[in-house]
Amino acid sequence: MVRYIAYRSLMALFLVWVVVTIVFLLLHLIPGDPAELLLSQGSIAADPAAVAALRTKMGLNEPLWQQYLSHLAGVLTGDLGASFRDGAPVVGQIAQRLPRTLEVILTAAIIATTLGVPLGTFAAIRAGGKWDSAISLLSSAALSTPVFVVGSVVILIFAQQLRILPAGGFVAISVDPVQHLKLLMLPAGTVALGLWAVITRMSRATVLEVLQRDHVRTARAKGLSHRQILRRHVVRNALIPVLTVLGLEMGTLIGGTVLVEFVFNWPGLSGYLVSAVDARDYPEVVGIVMTISILFVFLNLLVDVVNAALDPRIALARS
Amino acid sequence: MTTRLNRRGFLASTGALAGGLAFLGPRDLLAQEGGTLRFALSTYPPSFDAWASSGTAAGTIKLLIHRGLLGYAPDGTLRGELAESWKVDDTGAWIFKLRDAKWHDGTPVTAEDIAWNVLEAQKSDSAAHFQGQLSAITSVETPDTKTVRMVTTEPLAVLPGWFADFNMPMIKKGEPRDTTLGAGPFTLASTDRGVSLSLKAWEGYYKEGLPKLSGIEAIVYADENLRVAALEAGDVDLIEYVPWQSMTKIEGNDELTLQTTNGPFMYLTFNGSRPPFDNPKVRQAVAHAIKREDIAAAAFYDRGGALEHLPIPEGSEFYNPEFKDAWNYDPDKATALLAEAGYPDGFECTMLSTAQYGMHQSTAEVCQAYLSMIGINVQLDLPEWSTRVQKGNEGSYDLAVMGTAASNNDPDGLSSVLDGSLPASFVRSFALETPEISALFAKGRATFDTEERKAIYKEMEKIAIDTTPMVGLSWRSQGYAMKSGVSGFTSMPGQLIFYSGTTLEETMFG
Repeated sequence: MVRYIAYRSLMALFLVWVVVTIVFLLLHLIPGDPAELLLSQGSIAADPAAVAALRTKMGLNEPLWQQYLSHLAGVLTGDLGASFRDGAPVVGQIAQRLPRTLEVILTAAIIATTLGVPLGTFAAIRAGGKWDSAISLLSSAALSTPVFVVGSVVILIFAQQLRILPAGGFVAISVDPVQHLKLLMLPAGTVALGLWAVITRMSRATVLEVLQRDHVRTARAKGLSHRQILRRHVVRNALIPVLTVLGLEMGTLIGGTVLVEFVFNWPGLSGYLVSAVDARDYPEVVGIVMTISILFVFLNLLVDVVNAALDPRIALARS
Repeated sequence: MTTRLNRRGFLASTGALAGGLAFLGPRDLLAQEGGTLRFALSTYPPSFDAWASSGTAAGTIKLLIHRGLLGYAPDGTLRGELAESWKVDDTGAWIFKLRDAKWHDGTPVTAEDIAWNVLEAQKSDSAAHFQGQLSAITSVETPDTKTVRMVTTEPLAVLPGWFADFNMPMIKKGEPRDTTLGAGPFTLASTDRGVSLSLKAWEGYYKEGLPKLSGIEAIVYADENLRVAALEAGDVDLIEYVPWQSMTKIEGNDELTLQTTNGPFMYLTFNGSRPPFDNPKVRQAVAHAIKREDIAAAAFYDRGGALEHLPIPEGSEFYNPEFKDAWNYDPDKATALLAEAGYPDGFECTMLSTAQYGMHQSTAEVCQAYLSMIGINVQLDLPEWSTRVQKGNEGSYDLAVMGTAASNNDPDGLSSVLDGSLPASFVRSFALETPEISALFAKGRATFDTEERKAIYKEMEKIAIDTTPMVGLSWRSQGYAMKSGVSGFTSMPGQLIFYSGTTLEETMFG
């Protein structure tokens, strides 16, 4: 198991390096000069001399390989550089933004799993019945509705009509915990809806499949109660693929909550990435992408490890 | 099969979860407290660099924490800020007399501070927005602590306007350029980068009784619809960049007030380095081929107006009514001009715009439709904004859609979109020489008599109409919306709309 984790970690680091290199090169290939953009805010003509001076200050006149090597050297020492825009250290900004995105995703995952697994199991048990149909219909609707639609609708209902929740924004939990939770509810709920649909459908399918297996029939023949069969023999086995899907979905969400963050004005990592790309803020873009890559590959690794813990056959087969 | 996970259990548990939401209760917590105004900005200032052009949001924040030598009153007239008076002397040099103002650290604003600002910003590598203009100042003298004398290479009537610009505020001598230590009505208490800025009223402000608010929470709401939703929901008191589609709804809401100004404008620029747009007749044909009302309707929900002349607003003393519809919609004239230019069957070309901003894309689509009617088949190039800026600077287009506001209501502010002698920029036509216009701009800058200046800019507009270095398309209504209980905030006239943040010093509740 230790060797397996070590091997996967090395592979993960290699992948992160590849991603960072590609992103670094791509950023310099696409049009858009960060110095020019910074000095052209508000559609104002930037003075060419000022642009040239700023490019020098930003280090953009160095050869590309030199910029790449200095960046890599910085990464190895934990320094991701500073924003082109205002000189804010990228590491500090990521450290501030990442927990906000993770908070939304984790809250959404908890809501989605808490509701999705029991509902999926319930639908599987009542397969073919009206509850199954109703749950399938709901999850299909949730899955096919874009987050910006869900977001706009919940803002309309909870903020503009009922006026029980703020339309959007962010207040640090240390400043006002109640307001923080209120502001968290709509974005987390919106992300949770899509995730809930996936988990519900996955749980239903896997529970249905496990229910047909021989060991469940044997357990039933042994006279175990339905509750015991469900808990010990069905749900635990059915959880493995659900967990895998949850892990993958969460990994995707780390960089993919941009619409939710935009709609609810939640200042997380995804929105930060979009604004950094818009401004061609190279240090910020590379730093954020690297963080997302690291999280994504290690989240997958974690899913594999947990799967192996739940089902020893997985680790055995791979080793 | 039976299980305890039955319908009742499920309904009971979900019911309990739903009941848990009851703790939220009515949103009394968001009610206004004291005199702190919550202002929804459209974007977080990318930089606090006092002398750089960092956009309108940064401009608004600079107007809160800094003051220039001069500024603009709510009616758009030039007024003294750190300078209580200013005049030109017999030699053509400008003399500014300072008032008793203090920096946020309590030290007095001195002539030496002002001189240092000018000398630093005019350095060739300063990257200051006014670096080019300030280089015309050959010396800055400080005969006493309250007097600044600026000597220029030639007399410059427009110099006071530079020192009223929000990109040329004064900072204390020796402070870093991104300092937030200014002499404005508010001090920057704290920031959450990308999220919000907290400003507190400064008691030492030189205008007695101002500011009226005890503080301002500037919160970023990048999504325009959310900005409106936040105002309607009571999360904020004032919003900028009101989306045009929401203006009617806001006007119909008794709890809200909308203030709009036709200041910014949309226009077309040309690539003058190659055919066919190096030919003024082709450019004129384009000017007469487009029905402007359709642009205002498509891009701005009729919240704008046709612009068939240079973007000099009707209320300006430099407005020339005789040119009111000089570039009127006249497809027959457009077709004739095109034939006269040697393109009787039209031609194909590329129009640069951006898909990132709806108003730019809609404007381009309307232009495309109308140009096709006179035989100009336009292929749209709609990259995201950053690429659009670069392509504009490089001249990688035939004609392009652009939108901006001039830096002030003086016609000299239009030089950035008209003057072909300036370096290449995405805001003006590429490689299109305008020798007569450039000469008239220079003459206007050196002329102090208003009537003479009117005549100069009238001549300039006539030449611009004939040579068409750009084509005016549409005025753009720019709006601020606020709770009805907010008073004292004024949407400033014309091109000064983005200076409206100045009036936050007079804003109050009730």
